Amino acid sequence: MPSAISTQGLTKDYGAGRGIFDLDLTVAEGEVFGFLGPNGAGKTTTIKLLMGLSHPTRGSATILGLDADRDAVAVKRKVGYVPGELPQFGGWRGSEIVAYIAGLRGDLDDREVEAVAKRLDLDLGRKYREYSHGNKQKLALLLAFAHRPALLILDEPTSGLDPLHQQEFYGLVRDARARGATIFISSHVLSEVEHVCDRVGIVREGRLATVGQLDQLAGMRAHRVEIVFAGTPPIERIRAIPGFDQIAVEDHRVSGMFRGDFEPLLAALASSRVTKFESREPSLEEIFLGFYR
Amino acid sequence: MTLLRLAVRSHRTGLIMTALAGTVGGLLNSIGFAQIAGDNPAARALFAQQMELLARQLTYLLPAPAQLDTMAGYLVWRWFGSVALIYGFWALLAGTGAGRGDEERGLIELWLSAGASRTRLIAARVAGFAAVAAISIAVMLAGAAIGAAIGQEPLPIGPLALQGVAIWILTLVVFAFALLVAQLVTTRRSATGISGILVLVLFMLNAAARSGIDVGAIRWLSPFYLYERSTPLLRGGSLDTLATVMLALGALALVVLAVVAFVSRDVGGPLFRGAPGKATVKWRPARDPLLRMPVLAIVDQQRVWIVAWALGLALLAGFLTSITKTTVDALGNSDIPMLRAYFERAGINAYADFVGVIWFSTLVLLISLFVAVQVNGWAADDAEGRLEAILSAPVSRARVVVERITAVVVACAVLVAVSSLAVYLTATSTGISLPAGRFVFASAAVLPVAYAFSGLGHALVGWRPRIAVAILGALAVVGYFAQQFAPLFQWPDWVTNISLYALYGTPMSKDDWGGIATLIAIGLAGTAVAIVTMRRRDVGR
Repeated sequence: MPSAISTQGLTKDYGAGRGIFDLDLTVAEGEVFGFLGPNGAGKTTTIKLLMGLSHPTRGSATILGLDADRDAVAVKRKVGYVPGELPQFGGWRGSEIVAYIAGLRGDLDDREVEAVAKRLDLDLGRKYREYSHGNKQKLALLLAFAHRPALLILDEPTSGLDPLHQQEFYGLVRDARARGATIFISSHVLSEVEHVCDRVGIVREGRLATVGQLDQLAGMRAHRVEIVFAGTPPIERIRAIPGFDQIAVEDHRVSGMFRGDFEPLLAALASSRVTKFESREPSLEEIFLGFYR
Repeated sequence: MTLLRLAVRSHRTGLIMTALAGTVGGLLNSIGFAQIAGDNPAARALFAQQMELLARQLTYLLPAPAQLDTMAGYLVWRWFGSVALIYGFWALLAGTGAGRGDEERGLIELWLSAGASRTRLIAARVAGFAAVAAISIAVMLAGAAIGAAIGQEPLPIGPLALQGVAIWILTLVVFAFALLVAQLVTTRRSATGISGILVLVLFMLNAAARSGIDVGAIRWLSPFYLYERSTPLLRGGSLDTLATVMLALGALALVVLAVVAFVSRDVGGPLFRGAPGKATVKWRPARDPLLRMPVLAIVDQQRVWIVAWALGLALLAGFLTSITKTTVDALGNSDIPMLRAYFERAGINAYADFVGVIWFSTLVLLISLFVAVQVNGWAADDAEGRLEAILSAPVSRARVVVERITAVVVACAVLVAVSSLAVYLTATSTGISLPAGRFVFASAAVLPVAYAFSGLGHALVGWRPRIAVAILGALAVVGYFAQQFAPLFQWPDWVTNISLYALYGTPMSKDDWGGIATLIAIGLAGTAVAIVTMRRRDVGR
């Protein structure tokens, strides 16, 4: 399958270890790719390089067969983009911003704008400064999706969206994919990429740590587990449970990172009186600490 | 104390710029006086007579002259009149920045959520600016005092300090006024525009009063009128207690009103809101066809701003043209050699020439400042993410540069057309016959000046966006004063020629196609450099 995005040794060095280094990545056409990493990992830097907004220190990126830096204008005809930091349009109305960008693009269909605006429940008659953060994000999404691009590059696209509109966003992504578009989504929220992505790359401290299918990621999935016992915790039994690491004990409280099937863990606890059992999805940073330390 | 420190810190650039400009200006004016005024009573008397006649034509800009045979009198007229404008301009920007700029950047929300009260916030901003303004004015006065001492005519410290007090209180009044205006609107830009126009009106009120136009008791409303009541440096002069107290009380009242308004309104909202209209949801893009057209879209976005500038320029144009006849008649009867030399070098032989020299030299300065404001907007486009939004469309960076510069020239064409119409109508109504061909040519020739400044401005934005406006503003102001002072002090031609405005020449008197071509060449070179720097840089950094 031809690649929609391909980078070869792509590097942007801001000094002091900041930036993105030697990125070799391929995203196939029609794929939904999640680009994960904690804040400051280099996600936005990568996206700005792909969009031709920054120039690489070395290496190159190809977007739909075009050089991202040299052919930036041609690339953007085919790309819909949501920036990581929303622009400030002050007193403009949403409808004026869309008309202005439509004038610049030349390929924005008013009916498609209307359809996306209705889907996201975005009133274009209001002034930009009166928009909530979520509405500003919706406007950015509208501008990215409304011209039905072949490739969508979305930098933390659900930031500020309420759960209802997050679902609508996932629907937009699924529809875009259904018509053959490629989608590149950066995020620091693991569960978000699970909704829509086929494949995931994890970037940390400016370097690509791993790339894999989403089901491979499940193997990386861990839960932060905290158990409070009525009596003394059965430490030996707990330590013997496969996949339970980073165990910490404090009086009646036991915590740790758990990977895999919960069945052995629950079986080990069956004979003890448990007053609290809490399991939550760990942050990416916790996963990184678990996997890459 | 933290808020106060932050307030002081937020004014540090203004402090450095005004203190620097004030020191240099104070030194130059005082040393300049010592060099040109002569060293015996007869020479001084002749100098004073010449200057007084010249000063009469500058009453729209500077205070009425008095005791121009002394260092103190000359500085009160020439320097402390101009410096009040510099501090007023700074106060205006600082006041709107404190009233709206911080809010636009989300700082007000941050401080309020940290537990600071709204009253305390305003009090800290006022106190911070008052402290910084006092330091800047003290430095500026020190520059003048050192220059006067070098010129062997030291200024008395006590009266000099009182002069500083007068400037300081005037500065605080303008700051408080801008702070209050900022509570009424929702953006810093609107606040700056509205308070700028209102301060200009108050300034013109005083200018009209000192130009002999009867404006009645309304002149007391102008803080500039009250400021000029105090003349502590003049023989027999003093700090006018009534005027100073009125100014101080005025500043206090404006601050109190600003506090009340700030406490009453929503953060991010204006003080007064219209009744909520019938809610109609809009799903489609705006129908305004201009928004979809290259160049015109940029002009359209600024329509309110351009109209405000056009009105301000038309007012000033009308005023300057209305005093032309009186001024030229008064000056024409003079047989003082220096004044004749000034007239000859400035090319003034008739009313039309006077309009050419006074109006068009002012217009090119104001148009350059308009361009500088636009350049500031270009730098902000990058910092505030708008450039990134534009470049996410299939638009080349070169196109962005060319469209922006073209849009500025188009906006300038509107401003020039409106103000020239005001000049023409006022001239006709006062019986001044302007040669139509030359007048149209002189008006059109302003556009290459705008183009040259735009090209240079964009080149600077691509190179150093944060200081682009300061450099461009300095280029405009220094160029203007070099043009104005060169004939007055008979400075060599090279001084005049360092000004870009020298290339504009005096088109009401003679053609200078070489100058126009050079301006266009500068514009083209600036555009080319701007395209190269724009292509090379990373957006948003």
